[in-house]
Amino acid sequence: MAAIIDIAPAHSSRPRKATSDSLFSRVLIIGTAVGFMGLMFVLPLVVIFQEAFRKGWEGFIEAFDDRATMHAIWLTLKVAAITVPLNTLFGLAAAWCVSRFQFRGKRFLTSLIELPLWVSPVIAGMVYVLLFGAQGLFGPALKEHGIKIIFALPGIVLSTIFVTFTFVARILAPQMEAQGQAEEEAAMTLGANGFQMFWRVTLPKIKWGLLYGIILCNARSMGEFGAVSVVSGHIRNKTNTVPLHIEVLYNEYQFVPAFAVASMLALLALVTLILKTLTTTRRGAA
Amino acid sequence: MSIHIHQISKSFGSFQALKNVDLEVKTGELVALLGPSGSGKTTLLRIIAGLEFADAGEGSIQFHGTDVTNRSAYERKAGFVFQNYALFNHMTVAENIAFGLRVMPRATRPDREEIDKAVTELLRRIALEGYGDRHPSQLSGGQKQRVALARALAVGPQVLLLDEPFGALDAKVRKTLRKWLRQFHNETKVTTLFVTHDQDEAFELADRVVVLHEGDIQQIGSPQQLREHPKNEFVADFLDCVMI
Repeated sequence: MAAIIDIAPAHSSRPRKATSDSLFSRVLIIGTAVGFMGLMFVLPLVVIFQEAFRKGWEGFIEAFDDRATMHAIWLTLKVAAITVPLNTLFGLAAAWCVSRFQFRGKRFLTSLIELPLWVSPVIAGMVYVLLFGAQGLFGPALKEHGIKIIFALPGIVLSTIFVTFTFVARILAPQMEAQGQAEEEAAMTLGANGFQMFWRVTLPKIKWGLLYGIILCNARSMGEFGAVSVVSGHIRNKTNTVPLHIEVLYNEYQFVPAFAVASMLALLALVTLILKTLTTTRRGAA
Repeated sequence: MSIHIHQISKSFGSFQALKNVDLEVKTGELVALLGPSGSGKTTLLRIIAGLEFADAGEGSIQFHGTDVTNRSAYERKAGFVFQNYALFNHMTVAENIAFGLRVMPRATRPDREEIDKAVTELLRRIALEGYGDRHPSQLSGGQKQRVALARALAVGPQVLLLDEPFGALDAKVRKTLRKWLRQFHNETKVTTLFVTHDQDEAFELADRVVVLHEGDIQQIGSPQQLREHPKNEFVADFLDCVMI
């Protein structure tokens, strides 16, 4: 031990800081972290792509030459296209509300925004079934008017909104709170109306945080399994989103198609990661 | 433009920041609101600008005889200069100064050339010619404060409100800017109200000084009147303390 500790400073060309650890503990800590990351995150990713390309490019492309698969992808895109703009608006409104005003019940609202993080997605789905399902609270009324929410697109969208509504708000609220509102006040005294103030002053200040929130919201809305699984009913060519479709394929022992479609989601995650890193750097620079 | 403040009160929760304040500022006057921190001077300034609203009641604010008590900040258009500048950091200096002109309704908005001309003229006036393309982060504190002032002046406000305008600057820059502001006011005669806790600053700059304490106006008068005839113990004590 003593030898290792003595050698440590000599090895590093940089001056040693008082808080830096010995070589041994550095290797141990970094090794554990890297090993854990490799085992838990990198290896599964590699496996997904390896399985997807087990039968080469042809097998991979063949996997997408399937009506149910294409329908699932199309449905997922539709769900994201509805969910993300709505949750962006909601997130902005909630962050605005929480960061700009003092009111009774503000803390409650703040924790309500975080609800999707601590409630199991399955419960999120169940709630909508209990409300809008055939035996649910509004079930009979909905049936009377011929409106179908559960086992249909509206139910999938609703539960996805529930699961992803936290992202934009949670990222923006602290950022807007920290930035304060002096610039907005200045804009107002210069004669800017509410819209001009938001568009010209607030939005440029928060744009990177907003983009970051939107990216995360999008990734989650495309990848959500639990909540959607409860309300969708798994009807192939109708209510199966990409994650649900992957499960179906896997259960039917269609491994190459299952992993090929899964690799699309994995790719989405990687792109999200890259975009997230870029926006975080920008946020830091701004 | 004159400002009439009549029986204005303001409380934040159980804390009363202003108690039945009456104040009249004449057209073209330069008036200082002087007091220790927590005396309500900034609150009063923000209420005049419309950034804060007084407690409901009989209180009213008039700009040149027009009641503006319930008008929003963007309708009142009082030129406001913030202690920490509040410049738009994502815009250049020129864009900052042009902001007030650019957000005008289409009917009254000057065209691009006129705006450019106005900005160039203002930059000259604050002795920052050639700084138009810089961003606020590339400026010193004193320069930022001048830009903030130019931005407020661009829309030709009838009244200028300055909240501790030199508070964040070092002593030397402070002195220069003080002289500059006095000279500027002599030229333009825009009705100006400024908040300060620095008695020297108030006495050197202002035509009249308003001394505030715990939300109450203690005395209003010219620097000379205050110095020679402090109305009560607080005024005498506050002025003395600072003078040592």
